[in-house]
Amino acid sequence: MTDRRRINGPAGATVPPIFDDAGLQDLTSSKGRSRAPNAIRKMYLKTGVTPSASGSAYLEIETSATPGVSGLKLSCSVHGPRSLPRSAPFSPHIVLSTHVKYAPFATKQRRGYLRDPSERDLGIHLEAALRGAIIADRWPKSGVDIIISIVEGDQDREASRLQGDEVWDMMNALSGCITVAAAALADAGIDCVDTVAGGVAALVQNAGEDSTPTIVVDPIPSEHERILAACCVAYLPTRDEVTNLWFRGDLPASDLDLYTSLVEKGIQASKNANRVLVGCLSETVE
Amino acid sequence: MTTTPPTLALPGQLLGPAARYQPGPGTHLHDANLYASLLGQVHITQPARAPGPAKRLTKITPAPAPAELPTISVAVAASNTLPPGAERDVNKNKNKRREVLPEVGNVVLCRVIRITPRQAVVAILVCGDTVLEAEWQGLIRVQDVRATEKDRVRIYESFRPGDVVRAEVISLGDQANYYLSTTRNELGVVLAVSEAGNTMQPVSWKEFRDPETGAMELRKVAQPQPE
Repeated sequence: MTDRRRINGPAGATVPPIFDDAGLQDLTSSKGRSRAPNAIRKMYLKTGVTPSASGSAYLEIETSATPGVSGLKLSCSVHGPRSLPRSAPFSPHIVLSTHVKYAPFATKQRRGYLRDPSERDLGIHLEAALRGAIIADRWPKSGVDIIISIVEGDQDREASRLQGDEVWDMMNALSGCITVAAAALADAGIDCVDTVAGGVAALVQNAGEDSTPTIVVDPIPSEHERILAACCVAYLPTRDEVTNLWFRGDLPASDLDLYTSLVEKGIQASKNANRVLVGCLSETVE
Repeated sequence: MTTTPPTLALPGQLLGPAARYQPGPGTHLHDANLYASLLGQVHITQPARAPGPAKRLTKITPAPAPAELPTISVAVAASNTLPPGAERDVNKNKNKRREVLPEVGNVVLCRVIRITPRQAVVAILVCGDTVLEAEWQGLIRVQDVRATEKDRVRIYESFRPGDVVRAEVISLGDQANYYLSTTRNELGVVLAVSEAGNTMQPVSWKEFRDPETGAMELRKVAQPQPE
């Protein structure tokens, strides 16, 4: 559907001009992962950033070592519990509605003002992840809106080619969305069984087709030659439960353990993210 | 095992075994253990009265077995949503309380929005002692206005739009409305404005009087409560 109500920017990618400097060639060639395979990037999380919302949180994930690669910046606000619209049917539980929206300027490819299918998809995944965490029957007949704006997407602006990595970026965005929404829900005072956090693990292939694929957590698509498969896990640490699992990619059929080890790595990434979440929430409460 | 529960709790944090505490608000039970479900401070409330010598039972009541355990609850800490650099709003944020939903049995204060011959539609403003942040819609049906002579009740002789009514929640109702009732003496209209625009005084169980014009208006009057 086209957006006829607003003045839309030009469609298509916007790439900042790159001048043929000697120093810049360095940058483009400085590829490769600078972290250990099982280390996630540093993140910053803060609750209570939006005064008008019932609860809110802001998440920023460190830009990778390569300059020009932007990090992920997410802002989440929770509104509610509030009364359902008159048209809604009776619900004995809280009705969760999630909205994930990329800012028009968040990614290289300009986004419209209306949510596109990939953003709706993120919202549905987020809803599934959160529904397993909140205690819905504490709030009958009410609804809660969780709105996440992706202020800056996790994209390499310098990379000239679009490596078909949109879906891998979406996974990183989803794991950030889950973590930031959990913080905002706790800030809003909505009952949750646990703090849910997201984590991503990927099976990547570095330089050369014949090298053996390795599993890394928190992948940045531009740091690797090729991503074969990735999974995003939403995990409750005290319950030891997975509330949402999004798996994508091709795995060699010969190795059956690869699937489970990928999910395990995803859980490990989620545990790391949860540590930041717990630290942020204890800071909030003090 | 005599571990003391933490003073501050995060969602999912273990508070203690269910054999030692009763779950209060902001907690949940999982695998015979109590966990926090909210972010905030942990409060432990001792049981209201010591289990003394029981009075002679005149009727059969369910055994109050679990009442002797202290209740553990987690309350959202005040001023936890202080935005950066908003020191002036400290007082406003301190007063921020957790939103409470009306529950069955709560006494609420509401304002009458519109009346029909069968019901009065109200907006619930206060639940217990808490001012609600959201406005919830309620319904007082004609048969729930008073306990006696229900067939003689007329809505327009009981409520008028703009009245403030004290009522009890009797049901979560349908998708849009909570069902309310004013069938007790202390429930009914507490604040009414006459047609002339003056705040009226209650003079009987069914009448308000305008102190300036002396006109009487019919209402389902709430019995004035001593402060």
